[in-house]
Amino acid sequence: MKGRLAVGVVALGVAAAVPLVAGQHLLTAFIVALHAAYMALAWNVAAGYAGQFSLGHSLFYGIGAYASTMLYLKLGLTPWVGMFAGAALAGVVGVLLALGVYRYNVRGIFFALVTLGAAEVAKGLADNWHWIKGPVGILLTMKAAPAEFFFLRREPYYYVALAMVVAMVAISLVLERSRLGQHFLAVREDEAAAEASGVDTHRAKTVAIGLSAALTAFAGSFYAQFYLYVSPETVLTFEPQLTMMLGTMVGGAGTALGPVLGSVLFSGLGEALRNLPFENTRQVVIGSKLVYAILLIVILIYLPGGLITLGRRRA
Amino acid sequence: MSALLAVRGVSKRFGGLQALSNVTFGVDHREIVGIIGPNGAGKTTLFNVITGVYAPDLGRVELRGMDVTGWAPHRICRLGAARTFQIGKPFAALSVLQTVRIGALNRIDSMAGATARALEVLELVGLAGKRDDLGRHLTVIERKRLELARALATGPALLLLDEVAAGLRPNEIQEMIALVRRIAAGGVSVLIIEHVLEAVMRLSARIVVLNYGEVIAEGTPQSLVNDPRVIEAYLGEAYTLA
Repeated sequence: MKGRLAVGVVALGVAAAVPLVAGQHLLTAFIVALHAAYMALAWNVAAGYAGQFSLGHSLFYGIGAYASTMLYLKLGLTPWVGMFAGAALAGVVGVLLALGVYRYNVRGIFFALVTLGAAEVAKGLADNWHWIKGPVGILLTMKAAPAEFFFLRREPYYYVALAMVVAMVAISLVLERSRLGQHFLAVREDEAAAEASGVDTHRAKTVAIGLSAALTAFAGSFYAQFYLYVSPETVLTFEPQLTMMLGTMVGGAGTALGPVLGSVLFSGLGEALRNLPFENTRQVVIGSKLVYAILLIVILIYLPGGLITLGRRRA
Repeated sequence: MSALLAVRGVSKRFGGLQALSNVTFGVDHREIVGIIGPNGAGKTTLFNVITGVYAPDLGRVELRGMDVTGWAPHRICRLGAARTFQIGKPFAALSVLQTVRIGALNRIDSMAGATARALEVLELVGLAGKRDDLGRHLTVIERKRLELARALATGPALLLLDEVAAGLRPNEIQEMIALVRRIAAGGVSVLIIEHVLEAVMRLSARIVVLNYGEVIAEGTPQSLVNDPRVIEAYLGEAYTLA
Protein backbone atom coordinates (compact mmCIF):
# COMPACT_ATOMS: atom_id res chain seq x y z
CA MET A 1 0.00 0.00 0.00
CA LYS A 2 2.78 2.41 0.97
CA GLY A 3 4.74 1.37 -2.11
CA ARG A 4 1.79 2.12 -4.36
CA LEU A 5 1.26 5.49 -2.71
CA ALA A 6 4.93 6.32 -3.28
CA VAL A 7 4.66 5.35 -6.96
CA GLY A 8 1.56 7.53 -7.25
CA VAL A 9 3.28 10.53 -5.70
CA VAL A 10 6.33 10.13 -7.95
CA ALA A 11 4.13 9.76 -11.07
CA LEU A 12 2.19 12.87 -10.08
CA GLY A 13 5.43 14.77 -9.48
CA VAL A 14 6.74 13.80 -12.92
CA ALA A 15 3.41 14.73 -14.53
CA ALA A 16 3.40 18.10 -12.77
CA ALA A 17 6.92 18.82 -14.03
CA VAL A 18 6.11 18.09 -17.70
CA PRO A 19 5.31 21.74 -18.65
CA LEU A 20 8.74 22.76 -17.36
CA VAL A 21 10.51 20.72 -20.02
CA ALA A 22 7.97 20.15 -22.82
CA GLY A 23 7.55 22.61 -25.68
CA GLN A 24 4.12 23.89 -26.74
CA HIS A 25 3.62 21.20 -29.36
CA LEU A 26 4.49 18.33 -27.01
CA LEU A 27 2.41 19.92 -24.27
CA THR A 28 -0.62 19.91 -26.56
CA ALA A 29 -0.08 16.19 -27.14
CA PHE A 30 -0.01 15.63 -23.37
CA ILE A 31 -3.22 17.65 -22.92
CA VAL A 32 -4.94 15.54 -25.58
CA ALA A 33 -3.72 12.38 -23.83
CA LEU A 34 -4.96 13.49 -20.40
CA HIS A 35 -8.29 14.55 -21.88
CA ALA A 36 -8.65 11.11 -23.48
CA ALA A 37 -7.75 9.45 -20.18
CA TYR A 38 -10.43 11.44 -18.34
CA MET A 39 -13.10 10.54 -20.92
CA ALA A 40 -12.12 6.88 -20.79
CA LEU A 41 -12.36 6.83 -16.99
CA ALA A 42 -15.78 8.49 -17.09
CA TRP A 43 -17.10 5.91 -19.58
CA ASN A 44 -15.43 3.16 -17.54
CA VAL A 45 -17.77 3.92 -14.61
CA ALA A 46 -20.72 2.57 -16.61
CA ALA A 47 -19.03 0.18 -19.03
CA GLY A 48 -16.08 -1.11 -17.00
CA TYR A 49 -17.50 -1.34 -13.48
CA ALA A 50 -21.23 -1.80 -14.07
CA GLY A 51 -20.96 -3.63 -17.42
CA GLN A 52 -23.34 -1.22 -19.16
CA PHE A 53 -21.61 -1.02 -22.51
CA SER A 54 -22.93 2.31 -23.74
CA LEU A 55 -22.01 3.36 -27.27
CA GLY A 56 -23.82 6.67 -26.88
CA HIS A 57 -21.52 8.56 -24.55
CA SER A 58 -20.78 11.14 -27.25
CA LEU A 59 -24.27 12.39 -26.38
CA PHE A 60 -23.17 13.27 -22.84
CA TYR A 61 -19.87 14.67 -24.08
CA GLY A 62 -21.80 16.87 -26.52
CA ILE A 63 -24.22 18.00 -23.82
CA GLY A 64 -21.27 19.12 -21.70
CA ALA A 65 -19.66 21.00 -24.58
CA TYR A 66 -22.85 22.73 -25.69
CA ALA A 67 -24.21 23.44 -22.19
CA SER A 68 -21.19 25.35 -20.88
CA THR A 69 -20.84 27.13 -24.24
CA MET A 70 -24.47 28.24 -24.55
CA LEU A 71 -24.67 29.27 -20.89
CA TYR A 72 -21.64 31.48 -21.47
CA LEU A 73 -22.87 32.99 -24.74
CA LYS A 74 -26.48 33.57 -23.72
CA LEU A 75 -26.19 34.27 -20.00
CA GLY A 76 -22.56 35.22 -19.56
CA LEU A 77 -22.12 32.38 -17.06
CA THR A 78 -18.47 31.43 -16.64
CA PRO A 79 -17.74 27.91 -17.97
CA TRP A 80 -16.18 27.11 -14.58
CA VAL A 81 -19.77 27.03 -13.33
CA GLY A 82 -21.38 26.16 -16.66
CA MET A 83 -19.60 22.82 -16.80
CA PHE A 84 -21.34 21.75 -13.58
CA ALA A 85 -24.67 22.72 -15.13
CA GLY A 86 -23.71 20.64 -18.17
CA ALA A 87 -22.85 17.71 -15.94
CA ALA A 88 -26.17 17.99 -14.13
CA LEU A 89 -28.07 18.11 -17.43
CA ALA A 90 -26.14 15.14 -18.84
CA GLY A 91 -26.80 13.24 -15.60
CA VAL A 92 -30.54 13.88 -15.90
CA VAL A 93 -30.55 12.86 -19.58
CA GLY A 94 -28.55 9.74 -18.68
CA VAL A 95 -30.97 8.76 -15.92
CA LEU A 96 -34.01 9.33 -18.15
CA LEU A 97 -32.42 7.30 -20.95
CA ALA A 98 -31.56 4.51 -18.50
CA LEU A 99 -35.07 4.48 -17.00
CA GLY A 100 -36.55 4.17 -20.47
CA VAL A 101 -34.14 1.53 -21.68
CA TYR A 102 -34.14 -0.64 -18.55
CA ARG A 103 -37.91 -0.35 -18.23
CA TYR A 104 -38.09 -2.55 -21.32
CA ASN A 105 -35.29 -4.86 -20.14
CA VAL A 106 -32.95 -3.88 -22.96
CA ARG A 107 -29.57 -5.48 -22.23
CA GLY A 108 -26.15 -6.26 -23.60
CA ILE A 109 -25.72 -5.71 -27.32
CA PHE A 110 -29.22 -4.23 -27.60
CA PHE A 111 -28.43 -1.73 -24.88
CA ALA A 112 -25.28 -0.75 -26.81
CA LEU A 113 -27.29 -0.25 -30.00
CA VAL A 114 -30.03 1.79 -28.34
CA THR A 115 -27.49 4.14 -26.76
CA LEU A 116 -25.69 4.43 -30.10
CA GLY A 117 -29.00 5.38 -31.67
CA ALA A 118 -29.66 7.97 -28.95
CA ALA A 119 -26.36 9.69 -29.75
CA GLU A 120 -27.16 9.65 -33.48
CA VAL A 121 -30.56 11.22 -32.80
CA ALA A 122 -28.85 13.92 -30.73
CA LYS A 123 -26.47 14.68 -33.59
CA GLY A 124 -29.38 14.93 -36.01
CA LEU A 125 -31.18 17.32 -33.68
CA ALA A 126 -28.09 19.46 -33.17
CA ASP A 127 -27.48 19.65 -36.92
CA ASN A 128 -30.96 21.10 -37.37
CA TRP A 129 -31.19 23.30 -34.31
CA HIS A 130 -30.73 26.89 -35.38
CA TRP A 131 -30.34 28.27 -31.82
CA ILE A 132 -27.07 26.36 -31.44
CA LYS A 133 -25.98 27.24 -35.00
CA GLY A 134 -26.70 23.80 -36.52
CA PRO A 135 -23.89 22.08 -38.41
CA VAL A 136 -21.85 25.30 -38.66
CA GLY A 137 -20.99 25.12 -34.99
CA ILE A 138 -20.09 27.79 -32.49
CA LEU A 139 -16.84 29.69 -32.36
CA LEU A 140 -16.14 30.83 -28.81
CA THR A 141 -14.54 34.17 -28.14
CA MET A 142 -13.66 34.62 -24.50
CA LYS A 143 -12.95 37.88 -22.71
CA ALA A 144 -11.53 37.39 -19.21
CA ALA A 145 -8.63 35.00 -19.20
CA PRO A 146 -8.59 32.72 -16.12
CA ALA A 147 -12.03 33.69 -14.76
CA GLU A 148 -13.78 32.27 -17.82
CA PHE A 149 -11.86 28.97 -18.09
CA PHE A 150 -9.75 30.43 -20.85
CA PHE A 151 -5.98 30.71 -20.97
CA LEU A 152 -3.54 32.25 -23.39
CA ARG A 153 -0.91 29.60 -22.74
CA ARG A 154 -1.00 25.80 -22.81
CA GLU A 155 0.32 25.23 -19.29
CA PRO A 156 -2.90 26.06 -17.39
CA TYR A 157 -4.92 23.75 -19.68
CA TYR A 158 -2.41 21.02 -18.96
CA TYR A 159 -2.84 21.41 -15.20
CA VAL A 160 -6.64 21.50 -15.47
CA ALA A 161 -6.57 18.30 -17.57
CA LEU A 162 -4.17 16.68 -15.09
CA ALA A 163 -6.36 17.69 -12.13
CA MET A 164 -9.41 16.21 -13.89
CA VAL A 165 -7.63 12.87 -14.41
CA VAL A 166 -6.39 12.78 -10.80
CA ALA A 167 -9.91 13.54 -9.55
CA MET A 168 -11.38 10.87 -11.83
CA VAL A 169 -8.86 8.25 -10.67
CA ALA A 170 -9.74 9.16 -7.07
CA ILE A 171 -13.47 8.84 -7.82
CA SER A 172 -12.83 5.43 -9.40
CA LEU A 173 -10.84 4.24 -6.37
CA VAL A 174 -13.51 5.44 -3.94
CA LEU A 175 -16.19 3.77 -6.08
CA GLU A 176 -14.27 0.46 -6.07
CA ARG A 177 -14.24 0.54 -2.28
CA SER A 178 -17.90 1.49 -1.83
CA ARG A 179 -21.13 -0.45 -1.53
CA LEU A 180 -22.38 1.17 -4.74
CA GLY A 181 -19.23 0.09 -6.60
CA GLN A 182 -19.63 -3.49 -5.36
CA HIS A 183 -23.23 -3.41 -6.59
CA PHE A 184 -21.99 -2.23 -9.99
CA LEU A 185 -19.61 -5.21 -10.16
CA ALA A 186 -22.37 -7.64 -9.16
CA VAL A 187 -24.63 -6.28 -11.91
CA ARG A 188 -21.82 -6.59 -14.47
CA GLU A 189 -21.10 -10.20 -13.49
CA ASP A 190 -24.61 -11.64 -13.27
CA GLU A 191 -27.86 -9.75 -12.80
CA ALA A 192 -29.87 -12.72 -11.49
CA ALA A 193 -27.23 -13.53 -8.85
CA ALA A 194 -26.95 -9.83 -8.01
CA GLU A 195 -30.72 -9.60 -7.38
CA ALA A 196 -30.53 -12.77 -5.29
CA SER A 197 -27.83 -11.05 -3.21
CA GLY A 198 -30.13 -8.12 -2.44
CA VAL A 199 -28.83 -5.79 -5.16
CA ASP A 200 -31.45 -3.55 -6.79
CA THR A 201 -30.02 -4.07 -10.27
CA HIS A 202 -32.41 -1.65 -11.95
CA ARG A 203 -31.39 1.14 -9.60
CA ALA A 204 -27.67 0.29 -9.78
CA LYS A 205 -27.67 0.39 -13.59
CA THR A 206 -29.58 3.68 -13.68
CA VAL A 207 -27.19 5.28 -11.18
CA ALA A 208 -24.20 3.97 -13.16
CA ILE A 209 -25.41 5.57 -16.39
CA GLY A 210 -26.39 8.84 -14.71
CA LEU A 211 -23.09 9.16 -12.87
CA SER A 212 -21.01 8.21 -15.89
CA ALA A 213 -22.97 10.64 -18.10
CA ALA A 214 -22.46 13.55 -15.69
CA LEU A 215 -18.73 12.85 -15.41
CA THR A 216 -18.40 12.57 -19.20
CA ALA A 217 -20.00 16.01 -19.67
CA PHE A 218 -17.08 17.69 -17.86
CA ALA A 219 -14.82 16.39 -20.63
CA GLY A 220 -17.08 18.02 -23.22
CA SER A 221 -16.85 21.39 -21.46
CA PHE A 222 -13.07 21.05 -21.32
CA TYR A 223 -12.99 20.32 -25.04
CA ALA A 224 -15.03 23.46 -25.78
CA GLN A 225 -12.75 25.64 -23.67
CA PHE A 226 -9.56 24.17 -25.11
CA TYR A 227 -10.46 24.33 -28.81
CA LEU A 228 -12.94 27.22 -28.47
CA TYR A 229 -15.09 25.61 -31.14
CA VAL A 230 -18.10 23.30 -30.74
CA SER A 231 -20.02 21.63 -33.57
CA PRO A 232 -22.05 18.44 -34.02
CA GLU A 233 -19.28 17.16 -36.27
CA THR A 234 -16.66 17.44 -33.52
CA VAL A 235 -18.45 16.54 -30.27
CA LEU A 236 -21.49 14.49 -31.27
CA THR A 237 -19.94 12.01 -33.70
CA PHE A 238 -18.62 8.58 -32.80
CA GLU A 239 -15.08 9.96 -32.35
CA PRO A 240 -15.30 10.83 -28.63
CA GLN A 241 -16.94 7.45 -27.98
CA LEU A 242 -14.11 5.70 -29.85
CA THR A 243 -11.50 7.55 -27.78
CA MET A 244 -13.20 6.40 -24.56
CA MET A 245 -13.47 2.78 -25.70
CA LEU A 246 -9.98 2.36 -27.13
CA GLY A 247 -8.25 3.66 -24.02
CA THR A 248 -10.47 1.66 -21.67
CA MET A 249 -10.45 -1.66 -23.50
CA VAL A 250 -6.73 -1.60 -24.24
CA GLY A 251 -5.70 -0.37 -20.79
CA GLY A 252 -8.12 -2.48 -18.77
CA ALA A 253 -11.86 -2.00 -18.22
CA GLY A 254 -13.14 -1.92 -14.65
CA THR A 255 -9.88 -0.65 -13.19
CA ALA A 256 -8.91 2.85 -12.03
CA LEU A 257 -5.59 3.03 -13.87
CA GLY A 258 -6.11 0.87 -16.97
CA PRO A 259 -8.03 3.54 -18.92
CA VAL A 260 -5.26 6.06 -18.16
CA LEU A 261 -2.61 3.66 -19.38
CA GLY A 262 -4.51 2.80 -22.57
CA SER A 263 -5.41 6.40 -23.38
CA VAL A 264 -1.86 7.66 -22.93
CA LEU A 265 -0.59 4.82 -25.10
CA PHE A 266 -3.07 5.57 -27.89
CA SER A 267 -2.48 9.31 -27.77
CA GLY A 268 1.27 8.78 -27.87
CA LEU A 269 0.87 6.39 -30.76
CA GLY A 270 -1.27 8.93 -32.62
CA GLU A 271 1.38 11.56 -32.08
CA ALA A 272 4.14 9.25 -33.30
CA LEU A 273 2.18 8.31 -36.42
CA ARG A 274 1.63 11.94 -37.28
CA ASN A 275 5.38 12.37 -37.57
CA LEU A 276 5.77 9.58 -40.10
CA PRO A 277 6.34 10.68 -43.71
CA PHE A 278 2.74 10.64 -44.93
CA GLU A 279 1.85 12.71 -47.98
CA ASN A 280 -1.33 14.27 -46.60
CA THR A 281 -3.67 14.38 -43.62
CA ARG A 282 -6.04 11.85 -45.14
CA GLN A 283 -3.28 9.27 -45.19
CA VAL A 284 -2.41 10.01 -41.56
CA VAL A 285 -6.03 9.51 -40.48
CA ILE A 286 -6.46 6.28 -42.42
CA GLY A 287 -3.02 5.02 -41.43
CA SER A 288 -3.51 5.65 -37.71
CA LYS A 289 -6.99 4.08 -37.70
CA LEU A 290 -5.47 0.97 -39.25
CA VAL A 291 -2.78 0.81 -36.59
CA TYR A 292 -5.33 1.41 -33.79
CA ALA A 293 -7.59 -1.34 -35.07
CA ILE A 294 -4.78 -3.88 -35.35
CA LEU A 295 -3.46 -3.00 -31.89
CA LEU A 296 -6.94 -3.28 -30.41
CA ILE A 297 -7.49 -6.71 -31.96
CA VAL A 298 -4.10 -8.03 -30.83
CA ILE A 299 -4.56 -6.81 -27.25
CA LEU A 300 -8.14 -8.05 -26.92
CA ILE A 301 -7.05 -11.51 -28.11
CA TYR A 302 -3.88 -11.89 -26.05
CA LEU A 303 -4.68 -9.65 -23.08
CA PRO A 304 -8.47 -9.53 -22.74
CA GLY A 305 -8.17 -7.84 -19.34
CA GLY A 306 -6.10 -5.04 -20.89
CA LEU A 307 -2.49 -3.94 -20.46
CA ILE A 308 -3.01 -3.43 -16.74
CA THR A 309 -3.17 -7.22 -16.25
CA LEU A 310 0.46 -7.53 -17.39
CA GLY A 311 1.49 -6.42 -13.92
CA ARG A 312 -0.52 -9.12 -12.18
CA ARG A 313 0.32 -12.76 -11.81
CA ARG A 314 -1.03 -14.82 -14.68
CA ALA A 315 -3.74 -17.20 -13.55
CA MET B 1 -48.83 -18.58 14.91
CA SER B 2 -47.91 -17.18 11.52
CA ALA B 3 -45.57 -19.20 9.37
CA LEU B 4 -42.28 -17.79 8.12
CA LEU B 5 -43.20 -18.71 4.55
CA ALA B 6 -46.67 -19.43 3.25
CA VAL B 7 -47.26 -20.44 -0.35
CA ARG B 8 -50.99 -20.30 -1.09
CA GLY B 9 -52.54 -21.78 -4.20
CA VAL B 10 -49.68 -20.86 -6.49
CA SER B 11 -50.00 -21.67 -10.21
CA LYS B 12 -47.53 -20.86 -12.97
CA ARG B 13 -47.82 -21.68 -16.64
CA PHE B 14 -45.16 -21.46 -19.38
CA GLY B 15 -46.87 -21.69 -22.76
CA GLY B 16 -48.38 -25.15 -22.90
CA LEU B 17 -46.65 -26.36 -19.74
CA GLN B 18 -48.42 -26.07 -16.42
CA ALA B 19 -45.26 -25.82 -14.29
CA LEU B 20 -47.09 -25.33 -10.99
CA SER B 21 -50.73 -25.83 -10.18
CA ASN B 22 -52.36 -24.81 -6.95
CA VAL B 23 -49.30 -25.38 -4.79
CA THR B 24 -49.87 -24.74 -1.09
CA PHE B 25 -47.43 -25.35 1.75
CA GLY B 26 -45.51 -23.47 4.41
CA VAL B 27 -42.29 -23.30 6.35
CA ASP B 28 -42.24 -22.47 10.05
CA HIS B 29 -39.58 -20.67 12.01
CA ARG B 30 -36.49 -22.81 12.63
CA GLU B 31 -37.82 -25.61 10.43
CA ILE B 32 -36.04 -27.57 7.68
CA VAL B 33 -38.43 -28.53 4.89
CA GLY B 34 -37.50 -30.63 1.87
CA ILE B 35 -38.96 -30.57 -1.62
CA ILE B 36 -38.57 -33.69 -3.74
CA GLY B 37 -39.98 -34.79 -7.05
CA PRO B 38 -38.84 -36.07 -10.42
CA ASN B 39 -37.09 -33.83 -12.94
CA GLY B 40 -39.48 -31.29 -14.39
CA ALA B 41 -41.83 -31.50 -11.41
CA GLY B 42 -41.63 -27.73 -10.90
CA LYS B 43 -39.24 -27.56 -7.95
CA THR B 44 -36.95 -24.87 -9.30
CA THR B 45 -39.94 -22.95 -10.73
CA LEU B 46 -41.37 -22.97 -7.21
CA PHE B 47 -38.11 -21.45 -5.92
CA ASN B 48 -38.23 -18.86 -8.67
CA VAL B 49 -41.78 -17.88 -7.71
CA ILE B 50 -40.94 -17.70 -4.00
CA THR B 51 -37.85 -15.55 -4.58
CA GLY B 52 -39.53 -13.18 -7.05
CA VAL B 53 -37.86 -14.27 -10.29
CA TYR B 54 -41.32 -15.07 -11.66
CA ALA B 55 -44.65 -13.70 -10.53
CA PRO B 56 -47.23 -16.51 -10.18
CA ASP B 57 -50.27 -16.54 -12.48
CA LEU B 58 -52.46 -17.34 -9.51
CA GLY B 59 -51.98 -17.54 -5.77
CA ARG B 60 -49.89 -15.70 -3.22
CA VAL B 61 -46.54 -15.93 -1.50
CA GLU B 62 -46.27 -14.60 2.04
CA LEU B 63 -42.97 -14.08 3.81
CA ARG B 64 -42.76 -13.03 7.47
CA GLY B 65 -46.45 -12.17 7.35
CA MET B 66 -46.16 -9.90 4.29
CA ASP B 67 -47.63 -10.54 0.87
CA VAL B 68 -44.54 -10.54 -1.35
CA THR B 69 -46.25 -11.76 -4.54
CA GLY B 70 -44.76 -9.94 -7.51
CA TRP B 71 -41.94 -8.32 -5.52
CA ALA B 72 -38.52 -7.96 -7.20
CA PRO B 73 -35.95 -10.56 -6.03
CA HIS B 74 -33.75 -8.01 -4.23
CA ARG B 75 -36.68 -6.87 -2.08
CA ILE B 76 -37.46 -10.43 -1.09
CA CYS B 77 -33.79 -10.93 -0.27
CA ARG B 78 -33.87 -7.81 1.89
CA LEU B 79 -36.96 -9.06 3.69
CA GLY B 80 -35.14 -12.29 4.49
CA ALA B 81 -35.32 -15.07 1.89
CA ALA B 82 -32.07 -15.96 0.12
CA ARG B 83 -31.60 -18.69 -2.47
CA THR B 84 -28.81 -20.58 -4.13
CA PHE B 85 -28.90 -21.39 -7.83
CA GLN B 86 -28.95 -25.00 -8.95
CA ILE B 87 -26.47 -24.16 -11.67
CA GLY B 88 -24.00 -22.02 -9.75
CA LYS B 89 -23.84 -18.42 -10.91
CA PRO B 90 -20.43 -17.35 -9.71
CA PHE B 91 -19.34 -13.79 -10.30
CA ALA B 92 -16.71 -15.05 -12.76
CA ALA B 93 -14.28 -12.14 -12.59
CA LEU B 94 -14.67 -11.50 -8.85
CA SER B 95 -12.87 -13.22 -6.01
CA VAL B 96 -14.65 -15.53 -3.57
CA LEU B 97 -14.32 -12.91 -0.84
CA GLN B 98 -15.74 -10.14 -3.07
CA THR B 99 -18.69 -12.32 -4.04
CA VAL B 100 -19.63 -13.18 -0.47
CA ARG B 101 -19.04 -9.60 0.63
CA ILE B 102 -21.63 -8.43 -1.92
CA GLY B 103 -24.07 -10.75 -0.18
CA ALA B 104 -23.05 -9.41 3.24
CA LEU B 105 -23.65 -5.82 2.07
CA ASN B 106 -27.35 -6.72 2.07
CA ARG B 107 -27.48 -6.18 5.83
CA ILE B 108 -24.21 -4.39 6.59
CA ASP B 109 -23.53 -0.95 5.13
CA SER B 110 -19.81 -0.64 5.84
CA MET B 111 -17.28 -2.42 3.65
CA ALA B 112 -15.14 -3.36 6.65
CA GLY B 113 -18.12 -4.89 8.46
CA ALA B 114 -19.22 -6.74 5.34
CA THR B 115 -15.70 -8.08 4.79
CA ALA B 116 -15.56 -9.37 8.36
CA ARG B 117 -18.97 -11.05 7.99
CA ALA B 118 -17.94 -12.55 4.63
CA LEU B 119 -14.81 -14.06 6.19
CA GLU B 120 -16.90 -15.61 8.98
CA VAL B 121 -19.25 -17.19 6.45
CA LEU B 122 -16.35 -18.45 4.30
CA GLU B 123 -14.87 -20.05 7.41
CA LEU B 124 -18.21 -21.73 8.11
CA VAL B 125 -18.61 -23.22 4.62
CA GLY B 126 -14.94 -24.18 4.37
CA LEU B 127 -13.92 -21.79 1.61
CA ALA B 128 -11.67 -19.54 3.69
CA GLY B 129 -8.58 -20.89 1.93
CA LYS B 130 -10.02 -19.92 -1.45
CA ARG B 131 -10.91 -16.33 -0.55
CA ASP B 132 -8.73 -14.80 -3.27
CA ASP B 133 -9.62 -17.24 -6.06
CA LEU B 134 -11.74 -15.92 -8.91
CA GLY B 135 -15.22 -17.36 -9.37
CA ARG B 136 -14.35 -18.76 -12.79
CA HIS B 137 -11.51 -20.84 -11.35
CA LEU B 138 -13.63 -22.75 -8.85
CA THR B 139 -14.63 -26.39 -9.19
CA VAL B 140 -18.32 -27.32 -9.33
CA ILE B 141 -18.26 -28.30 -5.66
CA GLU B 142 -16.59 -25.05 -4.66
CA ARG B 143 -19.17 -23.11 -6.66
CA LYS B 144 -21.93 -24.81 -4.68
CA ARG B 145 -20.24 -23.80 -1.45
CA LEU B 146 -19.77 -20.28 -2.78
CA GLU B 147 -23.48 -20.10 -3.69
CA LEU B 148 -24.33 -21.20 -0.17
CA ALA B 149 -21.91 -18.67 1.34
CA ARG B 150 -23.21 -15.80 -0.79
CA ALA B 151 -26.82 -16.59 0.12
CA LEU B 152 -26.03 -17.07 3.81
CA ALA B 153 -24.08 -13.81 3.96
CA THR B 154 -27.24 -11.86 3.04
CA GLY B 155 -28.50 -12.69 6.55
CA PRO B 156 -31.66 -14.61 5.63
CA ALA B 157 -34.42 -15.86 7.92
CA LEU B 158 -35.18 -18.46 5.24
CA LEU B 159 -32.49 -20.10 3.13
CA LEU B 160 -33.60 -21.82 -0.08
CA LEU B 161 -31.08 -24.42 -1.25
CA ASP B 162 -31.39 -25.76 -4.78
CA GLU B 163 -29.57 -29.12 -5.02
CA VAL B 164 -26.52 -28.25 -2.99
CA ALA B 165 -25.64 -31.93 -2.47
CA ALA B 166 -25.94 -33.02 -6.11
CA GLY B 167 -22.67 -34.27 -7.55
CA LEU B 168 -20.95 -34.52 -4.18
CA ARG B 169 -19.03 -37.61 -3.06
CA PRO B 170 -20.43 -39.53 -0.07
CA ASN B 171 -18.08 -37.93 2.46
CA GLU B 172 -18.84 -34.49 1.01
CA ILE B 173 -22.56 -35.17 1.37
CA GLN B 174 -21.98 -35.86 5.05
CA GLU B 175 -20.14 -32.56 5.33
CA MET B 176 -22.95 -30.74 3.54
CA ILE B 177 -25.55 -32.27 5.85
CA ALA B 178 -23.54 -31.20 8.87
CA LEU B 179 -23.16 -27.71 7.41
CA VAL B 180 -26.90 -27.27 6.76
CA ARG B 181 -27.62 -28.47 10.30
CA ARG B 182 -25.17 -25.95 11.69
CA ILE B 183 -26.82 -23.17 9.68
CA ALA B 184 -30.28 -24.23 10.88
CA ALA B 185 -29.03 -24.41 14.47
CA GLY B 186 -28.15 -20.73 14.11
CA GLY B 187 -31.87 -19.94 13.76
CA VAL B 188 -32.22 -19.99 9.97
CA SER B 189 -35.11 -21.92 8.43
CA VAL B 190 -34.19 -23.97 5.38
CA LEU B 191 -36.18 -25.01 2.34
CA ILE B 192 -34.20 -27.58 0.42
CA ILE B 193 -34.64 -29.06 -3.05
CA GLU B 194 -32.60 -32.21 -3.29
CA HIS B 195 -32.23 -35.30 -5.41
CA VAL B 196 -29.75 -36.83 -3.02
CA LEU B 197 -32.36 -38.58 -0.89
CA GLU B 198 -30.05 -39.33 1.94
CA ALA B 199 -29.44 -35.63 2.45
CA VAL B 200 -33.06 -34.53 2.19
CA MET B 201 -34.41 -37.43 4.27
CA ARG B 202 -31.94 -36.92 7.07
CA LEU B 203 -32.20 -33.13 7.15
CA SER B 204 -35.90 -32.44 6.74
CA ALA B 205 -38.49 -32.45 9.46
CA ARG B 206 -41.12 -32.41 6.74
CA ILE B 207 -41.04 -33.11 3.01
CA VAL B 208 -43.26 -31.83 0.21
CA VAL B 209 -43.49 -34.08 -2.86
CA LEU B 210 -44.13 -32.41 -6.21
CA ASN B 211 -45.13 -34.17 -9.41
CA TYR B 212 -46.22 -32.42 -12.63
CA GLY B 213 -46.43 -29.16 -10.70
CA GLU B 214 -48.77 -30.47 -8.03
CA VAL B 215 -48.20 -31.34 -4.39
CA ILE B 216 -48.97 -35.07 -4.30
CA ALA B 217 -47.90 -35.73 -0.74
CA GLU B 218 -46.55 -33.99 2.32
CA GLY B 219 -45.32 -35.39 5.60
CA THR B 220 -42.41 -36.65 7.65
CA PRO B 221 -39.67 -38.52 5.78
CA GLN B 222 -40.72 -41.72 7.56
CA SER B 223 -44.33 -41.44 6.43
CA LEU B 224 -43.41 -40.69 2.81
CA VAL B 225 -41.13 -43.61 2.11
CA ASN B 226 -44.11 -45.91 2.54
CA ASP B 227 -46.54 -43.77 0.56
CA PRO B 228 -47.44 -45.62 -2.66
CA ARG B 229 -48.01 -42.35 -4.62
CA VAL B 230 -44.54 -41.13 -3.75
CA ILE B 231 -42.98 -44.47 -4.59
CA GLU B 232 -44.69 -44.53 -7.95
CA ALA B 233 -43.87 -40.94 -8.85
CA TYR B 234 -40.38 -40.61 -7.58
CA LEU B 235 -38.72 -43.21 -5.43
CA GLY B 236 -39.32 -45.98 -7.95
CA GLU B 237 -38.86 -48.65 -5.35
CA ALA B 238 -39.24 -49.02 -1.64
CA TYR B 239 -36.73 -46.81 0.12
CA THR B 240 -35.58 -47.55 3.62
CA LEU B 241 -34.25 -44.86 5.86
CA ALA B 242 -30.69 -45.53 6.83
